[in-house]
Parts: sequence; structure tokens; C-alpha cells
Amino acid sequence: MTARQLQAELTLVLRVLLRQPGFWVPTVLFPAMLYAFFGAGLAGSGPAAGYAMASFAVYAVLGVGFYQFGVTVAQDRADPFIRWQRLLPGATSAPWVARIVAGVGFSAVAMGLVLVLGKTLGGVVLADTGGWGRLVMITLLAAGPATLMGTALGSLASARAAVPLANLIFLPLAYLGGLWMPPQMLPETVAAISVWTPTRAMGELAWAALDGRSLPLRFAAVLAGWTAFAAAITWAAQARHGKLNFG
Amino acid sequence: MRGNMSTSHHKPIEALDIAKRFGAVTAVAGLSLHLGRGEALGLLGPNGAGKSTALAMLMGLRVPDAGAVRLFGHPPGSAAARAMMGVTPQAAGFPDQLTPRELLSYATARRARAVPFDDVIAAFGLSPVIDRRMAGFSGGEVRRVALALAFLGRPGLVFLDEPTTGLDAEAQQAFRATARGYVQDGGALILTSHHWDEIEAVCDRITMIDKGHKVMDGTLADMRARMQARRISFALPEGAHPPDWLRATHAGDRWHAETDDSDACLRRLVDEGTPFADLIVEPLALPDVIARIKPENRP
Ligand SMILES: Nc1ncnc2c1ncn2[C@@H]1O[C@H](COP(=O)(O)OP(=O)(O)O)[C@@H](O)[C@H]1O
Ligand SMILES: [Mg+2]
Repeated sequence: MTARQLQAELTLVLRVLLRQPGFWVPTVLFPAMLYAFFGAGLAGSGPAAGYAMASFAVYAVLGVGFYQFGVTVAQDRADPFIRWQRLLPGATSAPWVARIVAGVGFSAVAMGLVLVLGKTLGGVVLADTGGWGRLVMITLLAAGPATLMGTALGSLASARAAVPLANLIFLPLAYLGGLWMPPQMLPETVAAISVWTPTRAMGELAWAALDGRSLPLRFAAVLAGWTAFAAAITWAAQARHGKLNFG
Repeated sequence: MRGNMSTSHHKPIEALDIAKRFGAVTAVAGLSLHLGRGEALGLLGPNGAGKSTALAMLMGLRVPDAGAVRLFGHPPGSAAARAMMGVTPQAAGFPDQLTPRELLSYATARRARAVPFDDVIAAFGLSPVIDRRMAGFSGGEVRRVALALAFLGRPGLVFLDEPTTGLDAEAQQAFRATARGYVQDGGALILTSHHWDEIEAVCDRITMIDKGHKVMDGTLADMRARMQARRISFALPEGAHPPDWLRATHAGDRWHAETDDSDACLRRLVDEGTPFADLIVEPLALPDVIARIKPENRP
């Protein structure tokens, strides 16, 4: 893959996405807006403010993974344009690399907006200023599993069902994972489910990173399990679609 | 421009006995075909004959169940094969948010060396829409963009699946001129089409398939030469009938017949004193020629 090709792929992907406000307004702006309305004010000051900001940072990254990848992967299946791209000269992997780079870019912007609001509006003050860097790192790492979960969803859902399904899964998952209110405030039954969700695992990792605690292995394992599960679904479904559409 | 073509002595397309089934449907069965440089091949057949499936296997979009394909000696879908070919899909489905210029510059960036695209913009009359986003483009405009992308950079081999569906007469004419010029410059072209006049204007050879099987194969020149057949038609006075041996049919106010030797046929009519008037002798149209050849060629 040449740098020239990668640049062309990125330009193509970004042009298509940025010219669709229907894509980037919800994925990039909504997490920051929701944080401003529900996260920043309610958490007060002190450590809770930092946790709330970290939760919405995770929520932002997760949304990009779910919506950009989940939905577009479903819609792209058997898309004549994708078929045509496969026949062009150059590396066939380049369009995918460009998508992932774009996904990480959108994730970073969505998360960055939440952090900026946290510092300004949310009054987040970290005792250990290294926490900012660790939070950015861990949430960007969470973009990997988030993307895989999106592609798993997109591989299973039809193009028409992908958006409603993403909404159906994404919002409850954020709530269950304690991203909208601290896990301690969740009702008992919900709290029991919460510890098994990938969102909770991402949240726990982000909160630990913020504090500079060692990463909770138990939640790292839960997240790794979900990631492997999503990867397996994606792989199996894509192999099946590949046979149907390209075999 | 076709730098790497001259170093290769392989044909643009060599396909041996390729086959494809979809469940119980045999889409293509034991199809062999080859295409040389400076040659255009038309793939003909009714809807569902297997043309698109055959083309998909040749391009490298589908893997044949049996048989082998080589493009310039390379497996279809390989980087070496893709570097030498241009494609327009049957349904383009370009993203609405892009302009034709952006798509063309994307496609040229995928090549090893950038190529200018002013020539294809001009050839397919894209200047008026070149910087407009493609949302709301007419079917014909989308089609012209797809054609420009196929010929971009003058690849050694171009695949066209029903290239002119939805094009107006002027754009069809432009397509024929571009395609012929490309072939005359040494390019190889394979197309499927329903338009006989288009096949006749662009192709040197045709391969006809039906239910996945090849039913006929030949060059257009050979076909015309082999078929000395003519269609003759004339008027007769009220109540008069043509001789039985002519096997003429009555349509409109005139009598029509087909003959393999129009000279002998006319001499006989004159000798017998048939009172014909307003005589027309014309070569058979391509579909009629093929209809006559087909039974001979059936395996
Ligand atoms: N993806 C597919 N799944 C099942 N059957 C298919 C598929 N693609 C084509 N066919 C069948 O294969 C046959 C040939 O189709 P196609 O190659 O599209 O014909 P043509 O292009 O000549 O109209 C048809 O009977 C068609 O229904
Ligand atoms: Mg077809």
C-alpha cells in the first residue's frame, strides 16, 4: 500500500462522511452535548466529576465504533461501489485501513470534545495530571473493541435494520455499563448484569486509568471476551457473505 | 501508456472451461474464450444467459467452480491483473457525496502512476457535471462517469457489462467512437450488450451464450462473408402470387423472402416472368444472420 493510495482512500472516506451531517452530528457532537447536559452539571465537583467525564469519553468512542462501522459495514455488503473498488489496481486492504484510520480520528475528536468540556464546563481537576494522558490512551484503545462490536453488528444485520438495531443495543448498553450514572447508583438487579457488559468493562478501565490505579484484570478479561466474541461473529459472517457475494 | 503490456506475450484474456453454479442453477457451464490485443469481443445472450456471471469470473469478482482464467497470464483479482484492467460495473452505486472529478482522481491515485483524465472527461461529455455532487445525477450521467472510470488511463483490458443502458443516442455514439479508438490503439475490450447495432459497431467477434452454454462463436467479418444471404422484397399486382419455390411471405403490401443466392433467385424470377415491381435487395440484419448460423454451430 503506497502513501499516495492511503491518502486517496482517506480523502474519499472523509469526504463521504463529512458531507453527511446525518453521520457526524450524532456520532461526534452528541456525546459532548449529552455530557454537557447530563454529565458535567450533575456530577458536581471532586472525583465524581472526573469519573463522569471519563464515562462520556468512553460513550463517545463506543458510538463511533458502533455507528460508523456497524452501520456502514452492513450497508456496504454487496455494494456495487465496494465491488468496483476491489477491482482497482493497488492494495485491496487500503479502503479498510482508511476506514479504521478515519474511525480512530472521529473517535478522537468525539472524545476530545468531551474532555475539553470536562475541563471547562465540568470543572474537572485531576490531582494527578498524568490522568489526562492515560484516559486518552485507554479510551482510544477501547476504540478497537468498539469497532469490532460494530462490525459484528453490521455483519449480522441487514442494511435496513442496522441503524435501529445499533440504537436498540447501544443506548441500553451505555446505561447498563454505568456510563450515564455511576454504577453504585444502579438498581441491584441492573448492577448484577452491569459487571458483565463490555461498556462497564470499558468504563472501569477508563476510571482506573484516570486514578492511576492498576487496571482491573477482571474487567480487562470481560472486555477481551466480548472482543473475541465480536471478532468471531464478524469473521464467520463475513466469510459467509464473501461466499455469497464474491464466491 | 500501456507500458507493461508490451513486455507480456500473454493474451489479455484466456479462459478455459469455466463454470459456475448457484445452488441448482447452472449460470455458466464449460465456457472457454480468449481475447487478444486490439480486439473487441461481444458477449451476447438473453437475460439470465450467464453473461454477467461469466464477466464476474473473468474480472476476478467470482471464483469459478471449475476451469481457469488468466488475464495477461495473471490470475484474475491479482494485483498484476488489476493493474492492467478497467471496469465499469452494471450498477455503479457511486456515493452521492462525491463529484465525478473526485472519483476520477481517486481512481487515478490507485494506479502506480497518476494518469491525466481530461481525455475521458471530454470523451464522455462530463465537463458540465464534473464538479457537481452525484446525488441526483440522471441514469445516463452516472453511466457516463462509470465509462470514464473504465477507460481512465487507457488500461490494456476493459470490461463493460451493458455499458450503454440508459444512455441517449448522442452518448451511445460517443461511447462507440471511444471504444473503437481504444481497440484500434491496441486495447482489448469485452462487453455484454443487448443492442445489436452497438455490438456491430464496436466488436470484432461475438460469443453467444444461452443457459450458460456457448451456442455460437465467430468474427463479424467471417459471419458476413459466410452469409451471402439477402432479404428481398417486392410488390405484385392484385391477385398475382410469387412462385412456391421462393417461399415468400406476405406482409404489408409486399412480399418478403430470404435467399442465400440473390443473383440466381432474381434471374429465375425474371425468366419465369414474375411481374414484380419496386424490388429491394438488402443484406440480412445481424440478428437474422446469427439465427441462421446458430443451428449449424450447436454442439
Ligand atoms: N448471486 C446469485 N445467486 C443465485 N443465482 C444467481 C446469482 N447470480 C446470477 N444467478 C443466476 O444465474 C443465471 C445467470 O445470471 P446472469 O449471469 O446475471 O445472466 P445475464 O447477465 O446473462 O442476464 C440466472 O439464472 C441468474 O438467476
Ligand atoms: Mg447481466
